[in-house]
Amino acid sequence: MIAPSIPADEAERLTALARYGILDTTPEEAFDELVGLAASVLQVPVALISLVDESRQWFKARIGLDKASTSREVSFCAHAIHDDDVFVVSDALNDPRFFDNPLVTGEPKIRFYAGAQLTTPDGHNLGTLCVIDRHPRVLTCEQRSALRSLAHQVVMQLELRRQVAERTSAERELDRFFDLSIDLLCIAGFDGHFRRLNPAFETAFGYSRAEMIERPFVEFVHPDDRAKTLAELDRLRAGQQTVHFENRYICRDGSAKWIAWTASPSPEAGLIYAAARDVSERHEVERMKNDFVATVSHELRTPLTSIHGSLGLLASGVMGELSGEARQMVIVAERNSVRLMTLINEILDFEKLQSGKVEMDVRPAPLLRVLERSIETISAYATQHGIDIELHCPRATILGDETRLSQVLVNLLSNAVKYSERGGTVRVVGVLQPGMVEVRVEDRGCGIAEGAQKRLFERFHQIDSGDARAKPGTGLGLAICKAIIEQHGGSIGLESNEREGSTFWFRVPAVVMQVTGEGQRS
Amino acid sequence: MKALVIDDEEDVRFVAQMSLGRVGQMTVVVATGGEEGVALAKAEQPDFILLDMMMPGMDGAATFRALRADAATATIPVVFLTAKAMAADVQRLIDLGAKGVVLKPFNPMTLPREITAILNP
Repeated sequence: MIAPSIPADEAERLTALARYGILDTTPEEAFDELVGLAASVLQVPVALISLVDESRQWFKARIGLDKASTSREVSFCAHAIHDDDVFVVSDALNDPRFFDNPLVTGEPKIRFYAGAQLTTPDGHNLGTLCVIDRHPRVLTCEQRSALRSLAHQVVMQLELRRQVAERTSAERELDRFFDLSIDLLCIAGFDGHFRRLNPAFETAFGYSRAEMIERPFVEFVHPDDRAKTLAELDRLRAGQQTVHFENRYICRDGSAKWIAWTASPSPEAGLIYAAARDVSERHEVERMKNDFVATVSHELRTPLTSIHGSLGLLASGVMGELSGEARQMVIVAERNSVRLMTLINEILDFEKLQSGKVEMDVRPAPLLRVLERSIETISAYATQHGIDIELHCPRATILGDETRLSQVLVNLLSNAVKYSERGGTVRVVGVLQPGMVEVRVEDRGCGIAEGAQKRLFERFHQIDSGDARAKPGTGLGLAICKAIIEQHGGSIGLESNEREGSTFWFRVPAVVMQVTGEGQRS
Repeated sequence: MKALVIDDEEDVRFVAQMSLGRVGQMTVVVATGGEEGVALAKAEQPDFILLDMMMPGMDGAATFRALRADAATATIPVVFLTAKAMAADVQRLIDLGAKGVVLKPFNPMTLPREITAILNP
């Protein structure tokens, strides 16, 4: 007997075999059927799927043989895995490698052997699909081809089995993350019901997952947030992603929690995949901050009223004439008390606007009137700076809060005047657009660098004009303008070139009249 | 012209007194609260009353009602002084029967003029 040698790729071959995780597993129908088919097609009493590991050949499926494995030493298959094509021994007794093999001399008394290699996609022979007879035989061409095909099927089956196992384990891994997540993860249907929730939902809301799946999810949403939640659901149904959406959920104990969502729909499956987190703390901090700002501002305003009033009276001289320097000093103090008061008023105004506490008194108003009133308010200031204000206004009726829009315009105008050269002109131009009016305030001042333009509407952001003449402001004016215009459902922006001037514009809804003429003044 | 200022805040009261007195050349009497104010109004018969809205105890609205309830003070014009700048609140005060409203913080240099304008529309 000649014992089989070790193949050159033995290490990789064994790694490949281990990757299939099949050794010493229980019988499986797919493999049993394939050996059955081999035995029947080739008309033999014994057929095996034999896998050769370090020390033995182990049979994943077998017909006509009791043993589950044999030593590798005596194995025919361990010889077969050296070859590329079907390995055939027509008569073992006449073969010097096998004539005294115990499997030949004893049970199962092998005389004929044919084994087709089980070759992995990366080229390693794991073992064979082999057929055995107790009589010498010759393998026909058709039989060889059939055996080869069946061996290929065995490998395909092994591959499939491995992929299923990998996927199952990947799913189990994802499930583990799903269960572990502190954030809320869920799958919901387009029908408005949750389908699958992670345990974080139970911790967050106090309801069992079964309870939350049973009812439409909007029932758990705060009544004030239901309409916008349904609107968001409609957007998702239309195939749009939710990048950021916040609503309040009511917990079992009756408390409300702010939840921030991101969601992605799968319209084909009618499903929504969503991740969310509890942002109540952030909302609470925001609320406390707003309350704090409001309270502090009120508390500051009362004493400032007295300071400002006292200084004003002193500076005016009605309390008795002051010496030149003392009067200067009082004027400095008064001027700064005015600045402080303006700042506090603007902070209060901005906080109110931001928290939505200010209702816009929206009604139709002639555009011309709004523009003229704003210009009147600023005219003394403009004259003082030697600036002319020109007005070009088409006929239109705007829909808005006249006082608030005038506040915006006065703010834009005072900026334009402030940044214009003495003797310059500021133009106010109304432009009709479909359903909208655009109001433009144009100056020929120093302009604003492109980099600074973006942040201009943020609060407490002021441009560093590099101008020697200090132009103090509160840094809130434009932020307030933006808040007011946005509450009107409009937009605000600017166009500016450095050294050429700036144009600030805003658009608000309007009833645009037939253009029959235009009001002008300068 | 004689003015009665009713305000619980000493500093605001003083500034108003100086403004009306020095800038407006009026005679000014002051009260620190509603009850004192009603008594002074009866005794002094001012040409108008500048009445603070937010006061502890008897607030501006209660003081106004007390003034209206007494024949001796029922016809004295009242101008409210309030920090509440909301349009709705101002309207509420006018509806109460106030002659007008001056918003806090007021400008002491223009306060007498504003009040004169309110009293003689």
